[in-house]
Amino acid sequence: MNKLLSRTFISFSIYALFVLAASIPAYHYIVDGIWLAELDEHNQIIASRTEHELNKMHLDEKQLKESIKLWNSIQPGTSLEETNFDVNLKDSLFIEFRQNPYLKRVEIDRFRGLRKFIHINGKPFILTVETNVEETEETVAAIAMVTLIFFVILVLGFLVLNMRLSKKLWKPFRAALKNLKEFNLNHQKPIEFAETKILEFKELNQALEKLIGHTLLVYKGQKEFTENASHELQTPLSIIKGKLNLLLQDEPVTQRQYQLIEEIDFAIGRITRINRNLLILAKIENNQFNNTEKVDLSETVRKIKREVEDYYRLDEASFIEEIDSGIVISGNQTLIEIMTGNLISNAFKYNTESGKITISLTKIGLTVSNSSTNSLPTEKLFKRFSTTRKYGSGLGLAIVKEICIKNAWEVKYTFKEGLHIFNVFFQTD
Amino acid sequence: MKVLIIEDEPALATNIVEYLSGQNYICELAPTFQRAMDKLSQYNYDCILLDIMLPDGDGIRLLEQIKMAGKEDGVIIISAKDSLDDKIRGLEIGADDYLTKPFHLSELAARMFAVIRRKKFGNTNKLNVGYLEIDIPAKCVSIKGKQILLTKTEFDLLLFFIGNPNKVISKGALAEHLSGDYADMFDNYDFIYAHVKNLKKKLFDAGYEHELKTVYGTGYKWER
Repeated sequence: MNKLLSRTFISFSIYALFVLAASIPAYHYIVDGIWLAELDEHNQIIASRTEHELNKMHLDEKQLKESIKLWNSIQPGTSLEETNFDVNLKDSLFIEFRQNPYLKRVEIDRFRGLRKFIHINGKPFILTVETNVEETEETVAAIAMVTLIFFVILVLGFLVLNMRLSKKLWKPFRAALKNLKEFNLNHQKPIEFAETKILEFKELNQALEKLIGHTLLVYKGQKEFTENASHELQTPLSIIKGKLNLLLQDEPVTQRQYQLIEEIDFAIGRITRINRNLLILAKIENNQFNNTEKVDLSETVRKIKREVEDYYRLDEASFIEEIDSGIVISGNQTLIEIMTGNLISNAFKYNTESGKITISLTKIGLTVSNSSTNSLPTEKLFKRFSTTRKYGSGLGLAIVKEICIKNAWEVKYTFKEGLHIFNVFFQTD
Repeated sequence: MKVLIIEDEPALATNIVEYLSGQNYICELAPTFQRAMDKLSQYNYDCILLDIMLPDGDGIRLLEQIKMAGKEDGVIIISAKDSLDDKIRGLEIGADDYLTKPFHLSELAARMFAVIRRKKFGNTNKLNVGYLEIDIPAKCVSIKGKQILLTKTEFDLLLFFIGNPNKVISKGALAEHLSGDYADMFDNYDFIYAHVKNLKKKLFDAGYEHELKTVYGTGYKWER
């Protein structure tokens, strides 16, 4: 994963590298061009002055010859030769490479030359002026070096700017991100984004506010719907149940009719419990079990165990109880009773024939286990209506999970050595 | 005994009236808060069934009025609200019992029976049914001075039957009465059979004639 800014940083740096690299030949051509033009001008001046001065001296033939000889031997870079072409030939420019004769090592020098036809005392001469010019490689190398230094400065500058920008410019973005990470739909609290002057972030924040507001509304509506629907169902269910009771009193009811009534009654009992559990879930989510108190968990667990075991004949060494005394946790009494009740009654309900049930309670947590033949699907176990069992409400474990979430406890299911094991770990502080 | 049924749902109110008829009850109906206030200001009742969600007022306020007037009427709240807060508030203000919809009519009758007896006889709540002498607070049953040892469940069942004389009671009603919140622990309600069988046997062994009858195979009836 790359940070957005390091992405742009890399792109910018690569782009800068290309531009600067391309600038090296460009600079070279410009510098070289100026250099040569300047030298041509310089050569021209020397040639013109030479012509002018020699003519001004009014030397005779002999003197001129000697002077030219002397000139040619001591004046470096120029030569003056008599020519027979008495035409007004054009001047010519040339470049020449020569080994420096005074150095032993190989040192090729570049020369810019001007060949000019001049007239001294009316006679035509070829005047050649040569001036040493910086070689191409040296110019390029120098420019490249400077460019490289600037590239390094540029990249370092990018780095520093990047760090400062990412700290400053992205501050509202980071703040918004932090808010989003901490957002919890259950708390029903909209996020308040900090004011920002940057258009993009402002738009982002507005869009997020709108989205979250809408989500909260939908979520609230859905929860209220569950609660209202559950409430509304109670009365018609009550009426059906009552009518069945009355139907039972009509004599004589046939045996078959009686069986039917019993079965309907049983199904209604199940609807009622699903309904009640949905209501409990909705209420937990709607924070209607808010009052927290110190709950004697040891006592609660023992009480629920006593209530539940009344209905089951547990014999032999099939029941193990390790409940430490005086375990007190803070939470809502009702919710804690519901949670332990669900876990313990599940253990009894789903225990195999002459299976083993263990309830253990320590400071760290509550463990309830029962015998079974195969593991349960862990990932959907705590989801609503995920159990395949026909007669449960399918909500017991979802409620347990929800209660644990509310109290920041952790509930875990494991299947080990033929046992379903449910652990609730309390936050120890 | 006079019963006032404060319930806005007519179908439910008539269910209750119909079920209670044939027993010693005279039922009056009050479908609204106002009607209930009128009735309560004029008459006394042995038992008031109070739905706390009324179209024109909060039933809890009615309860407060009853208690402020110093009335001794037994009050059972029947509510679609299964919220513990409501339950605690209702009982704190002075309701005698709290029943959540939906309920079995036999459950309601048993609760009414208990509330009325408690109101009337308090700590000396002894009940004579035929030869049976039942000391409710002490949870003791005896025949002609000879005590019958019943388990808590069997005693519960016995009171439930006595509160519903001559009614056919399904095992579902009994199971839900006994197991309450844990009713969904059961795939079926067959465990009731063993409890009732034991109760019948104990009564029979003590020389008590069979008033507790099995009907239609799995239903029961306390005949008087």
